Amino acid sequence: MYMEKEAALNVAKSSPHETSGQPIISIRNVGKTYANGSVVALSNASFDVQRGEFVVILGPSGAGKSTLLRCVNRLAEPTQGKIFLDGKEITENARELREVRRHIGMVFQHFNLVPRLSVLMNVLSGRLSYRSTWRSFFYSFTKEDRAIALECLEMVALGHKAFQRASTLSGGEQQRVAIARALAQKPTVILADEPVASLDPKIARQVLTYLKEVTHSLGISVICNLHQIDFAREYADRIVGLCDGEKIFDGKASELTDNILKKIYRLNAEDDSDASE
Amino acid sequence: MSHSGNFPLEQPSLTYFGKAKFLAYTLAAAIFLAWSANSLELNAGELMRSMPVIGRYIARMFPPDWTVLEGLWGPTLDTLCIALWGTVIASIIGLPLGILAAKNMHSPAVIRVGALTILNILRSVSELIWAIFFVAAVGLGPFPGALALGVNFGGILGRLYAEAIENIDPKPHEALRATGANHVQAIMFSVIPQVLPQIVSYNLYWFEVGVRSATVLGMIGAGGIGFVLVTTIRLYEFQETAAILLVILVLVTIIDRASAVLRRAIVG
Repeated sequence: MYMEKEAALNVAKSSPHETSGQPIISIRNVGKTYANGSVVALSNASFDVQRGEFVVILGPSGAGKSTLLRCVNRLAEPTQGKIFLDGKEITENARELREVRRHIGMVFQHFNLVPRLSVLMNVLSGRLSYRSTWRSFFYSFTKEDRAIALECLEMVALGHKAFQRASTLSGGEQQRVAIARALAQKPTVILADEPVASLDPKIARQVLTYLKEVTHSLGISVICNLHQIDFAREYADRIVGLCDGEKIFDGKASELTDNILKKIYRLNAEDDSDASE
Repeated sequence: MSHSGNFPLEQPSLTYFGKAKFLAYTLAAAIFLAWSANSLELNAGELMRSMPVIGRYIARMFPPDWTVLEGLWGPTLDTLCIALWGTVIASIIGLPLGILAAKNMHSPAVIRVGALTILNILRSVSELIWAIFFVAAVGLGPFPGALALGVNFGGILGRLYAEAIENIDPKPHEALRATGANHVQAIMFSVIPQVLPQIVSYNLYWFEVGVRSATVLGMIGAGGIGFVLVTTIRLYEFQETAAILLVILVLVTIIDRASAVLRRAIVG
């Protein structure tokens, strides 16, 4: 663990949730090797996420950030290590996968909405895991589901667009709908995989603010992959730095020094303000 | 005539080798066509000799006898119903099989190959053969016609649906799987909405084809306007035959136009 003393750059907001006790997510020695063992995407990563904490995973493209997130909800199967959700191991039992995923919302870089469905329908699809297959055949939801979906849309200030087709919304709005879909799951954790990488900086800040404020008010933990250092500093309660599939840093934004950044982004040059690409 | 000096627009000229290749292909095609004409006993002289006979038959069709029109409403409606229900049955058969057959739906290999095989069988046996089979099984009338169309078109539509599904954007599907939705729910909410426009378009097109096909099915006893048509031919009532043919022409034209308009309205 790096605890550099020269913590000069300090733009971080203070982290509000310093709750002790059992972490909501525990990642233990998780690794993932693709294809005949030749490509190591992630190796031996370990860290905890506390309840309500907003953790940013920072690293360049190809650092294994995406793989790490996808291991948590098992869109990718880790080849090594264990992951615990609220103290229960989730990397073992495939039958409980649906139950596990229900508690973990996910937000993607490309929003991944169904363009032809209404905004409300997209948010309602976050409720599917609570409902029977039979009911889903008729695209039918309970009154409760509709109330929850509308409430979640209101939280991202898009209640007035509920009945528009998702494809008619702007990128930033679509990502807010995707956040609402994740919220509709009533999750304990939201995974955000480069949620603002395809948005311009102004809209990106807006989307991240929604994500941070809403999850903060609901006590939902967030693990958010980012490659932009300034966003990481601004929004993270804690930052985990990844490079080449390995954890290089784990600490508060204020402890993230230039030297550490250079290690994360493997830079030798002195100027690293635009290190992301 | 000004085009940019850096890129002179010259016609690419064929090399001698290219010309030789072109000649060789043309020659090969001509030989193949001649050979297949031989096995058809295609013969220009024979065709010319039979021209007067064809002419006489056509002459006997005029003027069309419009008195049959009155009795045509029922059979015409039957034909439309055969096409309609044929398409409905085809969708019911084709959609589940198409989903199982689509590569990106990751059905177990046995099931996928099974679905593909069934679709192939349904598709490769023509609806006429199916109709003969169903007429024998359930008797004369429109019902076996609808079954025959449904089964054959089911094979065709299933294949088309599978291809449409294979071209969807996988990202929303993955997002739904990530929410904890099960396989069927993810299909209902991400696959179906994405392929719906194509499904509607294919169904309308095959309904059109079905109307034409249903008139032919009538001739082998599967009801509808084709049955009336073949009856008039057998009775040498060629003036009635002419009237019925014109009715079919109008019917098919109307259906074609209507479905083209509908398709544009729904898909566009």
